Amino acid sequence: MVYWEHKAGQKTFDSPKGGKHNMNQSNEIVIQTKGLSKSFGEVKALKSLDLAVPKHSIFGFLGPSGTGKTTAIKLLLGLTRPTNGGGTVFGLDIGRNSVEIRKRVGYLAQHPRYYEHMTARETLRFTARFFYTGPKAEIGDRVAETLELVGLAGKADRPIKGFSGGERQRLGIAQAQINYPDLLILDEPAASLDPQGRRDVLEVMERLRKYATIFYSTHILDDVQQVSDTVAILNHGELVAQAPLEELLVGSEGTVYSVVIKGDPSQAHGRVAGQPWVSGIRATTAEGQTAWQVSVTDEAVAEATLLRLVLSDESVTVTEFGRKKYELEDVFLSIVKEDNNE
Amino acid sequence: MSSNSALQLVNERGWRSGFANLLRNENLEWWGSRRWLTQAGLWLLILNGLVALVMFVTPAVMQVTPDDNAGAMDPISMGIPAFFQIGATALAIGTVILVQGEMVGERQSGITEWILSKPVARPAYFLAKMVAHSIGIFAIMIGFQSTVAYGLFWLANGDPLPLLPFLVGVGGLTLHTFFYLTLTLMLGVFAKTRKQVLGVAMGSLLGGMLLLNIISQLGLITPWSLPNILPALVIQIPLPFATAFMPILMTAI
Repeated sequence: MVYWEHKAGQKTFDSPKGGKHNMNQSNEIVIQTKGLSKSFGEVKALKSLDLAVPKHSIFGFLGPSGTGKTTAIKLLLGLTRPTNGGGTVFGLDIGRNSVEIRKRVGYLAQHPRYYEHMTARETLRFTARFFYTGPKAEIGDRVAETLELVGLAGKADRPIKGFSGGERQRLGIAQAQINYPDLLILDEPAASLDPQGRRDVLEVMERLRKYATIFYSTHILDDVQQVSDTVAILNHGELVAQAPLEELLVGSEGTVYSVVIKGDPSQAHGRVAGQPWVSGIRATTAEGQTAWQVSVTDEAVAEATLLRLVLSDESVTVTEFGRKKYELEDVFLSIVKEDNNE
Repeated sequence: MSSNSALQLVNERGWRSGFANLLRNENLEWWGSRRWLTQAGLWLLILNGLVALVMFVTPAVMQVTPDDNAGAMDPISMGIPAFFQIGATALAIGTVILVQGEMVGERQSGITEWILSKPVARPAYFLAKMVAHSIGIFAIMIGFQSTVAYGLFWLANGDPLPLLPFLVGVGGLTLHTFFYLTLTLMLGVFAKTRKQVLGVAMGSLLGGMLLLNIISQLGLITPWSLPNILPALVIQIPLPFATAFMPILMTAI
């Protein structure tokens, strides 16, 4: 049974096979926070964040603007200190070992800024030297390879002040991964980009996923649905949901099958509604077709039996059948709305 | 992605994390651009231009328009205060203006956040700026100008000035300038705007000089009286120990 449950104001995810998602296996966890909180005077920017980011995931950190995503990221990097709680990255404490953590992390800020007079190549060379020493030529090779990866090789020797938003963002990704980080933290990496730029950034993220865990914040839900495998949703500084994307998209209403029927469905309705594993049918009619949302309690039986039951009435035709999947936007809005109403 | 075997991981720890790279970058700002040339030319004009003016032009003008006191003013007794007294204040003002935006500007623009997201310790970030500016300011604004000034004094005097007192004066000038360099950089860490940095640093410099006229004892525990005592140290006018060295000691502390 898949469901969302409230635990101390936070929804956690239970897998259909029982037990929690593998986030509890600490050796597979890259980022873990417990009660991580940050206040600015009276304003509580982040309230008791409990986060677990699995290794090699593309972890989408979602939330409306101003909900504390950037604050959480800055806390993870040791750029600001928590008011309460704490956390670890690679098992290292974010307060005491931030420099050690940053040796293994690549970070792209929401509005990346660099020395404007430097070229892209100079910026990457400067960045690389925080991590490596060695012959100039070797560092040059690393820089050239990285520029190639993000498609900036042709503009490598132009001063950054002439760069477009998309080019700056690519440079941002390049500088974030110059050290081949085990963890990439990207704060709204595609927010200021046009569709082409966004696609490019997502492609780069896809390319990098085999080398690193990617933790990125965004409010662009389409992007999350394209590349993420795990998602956390933040609202008003509070974590309201955290789950693998696939399971999140199944929804919080249990397993639901969608059936679209042509013809009189009354006989089939009676037959389906009488089944012990059917917990409810929601029907809507439009343009001579009836659409059912059938909630079931036994997914396996439903998969094997539901369509046969409907088609046993020869007077109806089934034009669509399948397990209902939600768009992330629906799930996100429903969770945020529900949280706002509480 | 390939791995570059010849590259080795940087092994800086604690407060030194990131220092070498940041210092290299800050030094490049001074020496890899025209900054050093601009500053050298500017301060040559301001400091040694002034010294040359008071030592070579003013006496000539006074000879044309003689008055009773003209004979009492020899070039050296005008040139040394011009360089060490007016120069100390001018260098402090110049330093404040030069570095006022270093910390605040980078913080506001997001560059500080970018740099600190790398394996960089906060003290290393501050110290790299401090050391690089100290080297640049000492070499260009103090060392080079003092060498030229020494030559001008030699020319005006006919004989070289005693070197040790002159070097003590240069040391005092350096200390005074570095005090305002440190103050301005530190203010940049806490202040929210350049105006705040500029206001407090300039207020300390200029307001301090005014305060000194009201409460002269402040001269013993602040750097405010340093510009006044440096010419006396160079000319070797005997001063009470406390008057001569307490400001130096307190400024250094």
